[in-house]
Amino acid sequence: MYDIEATVVQNKNIVSGYYLLKMHLLKPMGKIQPGQFVMIRIPGNEVFLRRPFSIYEGNKDTISIMYRVAGKGTEILSKVKKNIQTSILGPLGNGFHLNDTDNYHVVAGGIGIAGVNMLIKRLGKRASVFFGCNSKDELQLIKDIKGSDVKIATLDGSEGYKGNVVDLLENYLISTKTEMVETLVCGPKGMYEGLRGLFEKTGTPCQVLVEERMACGFGLCFGCVIRTTDDKEPYKRICKEGPVFDLWKISL
Amino acid sequence: MENLTLKLFGKTLKNPVMNASGTLGYGKEIESLWGIETLGAYVTKGLSAKPHHGNPVPRVWEERNGMINSIGLQNIGVERFFNEYFPYFKQRQTPVIVNFFGFTEEEYIACAEKIKADPLIVALEMNLSCPNIKMGGISFGKEPNMVFEIVKHVKSTTDIPLIIKLTPEVKNIVEIAWAAYEGGANGLTLINTIPAAVVDIRSRCIPLKGGLSGPTIKPVALRAVYECSKAVSIPIVGAGGIMNTEDALSFFMAGATAIQIGTATFVDPYTIPKIISGISNYIDEQGLSLIDDIVGIAHDQ
Repeated sequence: MYDIEATVVQNKNIVSGYYLLKMHLLKPMGKIQPGQFVMIRIPGNEVFLRRPFSIYEGNKDTISIMYRVAGKGTEILSKVKKNIQTSILGPLGNGFHLNDTDNYHVVAGGIGIAGVNMLIKRLGKRASVFFGCNSKDELQLIKDIKGSDVKIATLDGSEGYKGNVVDLLENYLISTKTEMVETLVCGPKGMYEGLRGLFEKTGTPCQVLVEERMACGFGLCFGCVIRTTDDKEPYKRICKEGPVFDLWKISL
Repeated sequence: MENLTLKLFGKTLKNPVMNASGTLGYGKEIESLWGIETLGAYVTKGLSAKPHHGNPVPRVWEERNGMINSIGLQNIGVERFFNEYFPYFKQRQTPVIVNFFGFTEEEYIACAEKIKADPLIVALEMNLSCPNIKMGGISFGKEPNMVFEIVKHVKSTTDIPLIIKLTPEVKNIVEIAWAAYEGGANGLTLINTIPAAVVDIRSRCIPLKGGLSGPTIKPVALRAVYECSKAVSIPIVGAGGIMNTEDALSFFMAGATAIQIGTATFVDPYTIPKIISGISNYIDEQGLSLIDDIVGIAHDQ
């Protein structure tokens, strides 16, 4: 973990309400695991605390985040222009636990793709991707991973399966008689509940990336927690022990 | 940085800068950015005789120039802290101030009794902002006679110097400071967070009630430090919204012997080392010899 000065290279509007921010790092961040995140200082003086974002892509000199405008911080961020300076703390948290041989199902909902983009690239052919969004406009979010094996669900049916991504996955598993494999997920809470229902009988291993309001981003304040099945110490810090958790060990 | 050295309760600290309780985890979390031995003393997360799970989320909420938190005093308990984390401070030779709390007088005493004197333990810091569940939930820190009684009783059970951390939400903080002093307190930490709430107009509910911290509370803290340091002769540890060297200096000038940095670390995790070198430079530039030369200097003007 380092606190690194960075310069905005590009802050591109991908589709209404969604942006891809690419920043040049003045010093390397070090090795990044898929699923890790950064705390970014929002330029200007309107926002007090830094904001957490999954690392969409990162290497020695640059880092990118994909974000949806959801509040004041992201609203201001969406207006940031090229060459603006900021500070980035990271990489933070624990990413997805992967082994070198297994195939995985990767499930993403909407802006959840931001949390699994690196993962999908890292896994290459070992990943079958299931992506769900509201409507086909939002398929702009997965333009970068079109080369991979991606199945699509839209809630309005404008492209791919009509319905949510959990139903798409279920349908796919049944219709193709595909074996259930460990599933890696990033999306809204409802999706995790759906997957828990789907995997209940099989107990399919499943890792989920969760989010929460954060203050420090690296375990100092105990502000972002999730309740787990650990009776002795139920609340775990999302920023420190997470943000990736075993679906079967958390309460939703 | 020899100009920052001070004696506090007979122990030598290399500087008067500490973290505020609960804003530097269990200590180790900061180690990849800067060494814990940078601190004059590490103040523990609030510890209790028995572990506490803490509150559900949301626990934190941003405010204009500050934040509100309601962590709910999550901690692993005083015994586990000493078994698992205290050796780290021993190894780094970092002085420790043990912040602790309870919900009954017995719980405060049970916790204080579990803390054994050690050359590295500078003091206990008693958080009096907790509700007294035997007195209908009124905070221990609100009434002068309650403060006097609990300080006197805890003081009689421990040989370790006792600092009392006060809530600012009282009729007259000087009276509370007096009560703590008369009960036998060796020092005061001023101030704890200020009770506050958030209203979410979209859901029309109150998602969080908790303690307000950050630069928005700095003037309130400065006033408390100023008034109390004039009134009582024990060391005052100033805390509340210190973001930079200028803020830190203003607390010393108002009468604080040492300071604590909390919320600022979340905004810039290097705030503590920056303030330490900032105040040292100031002492040099002003041709002074010790930080103590400016403590309470504003009183005489």
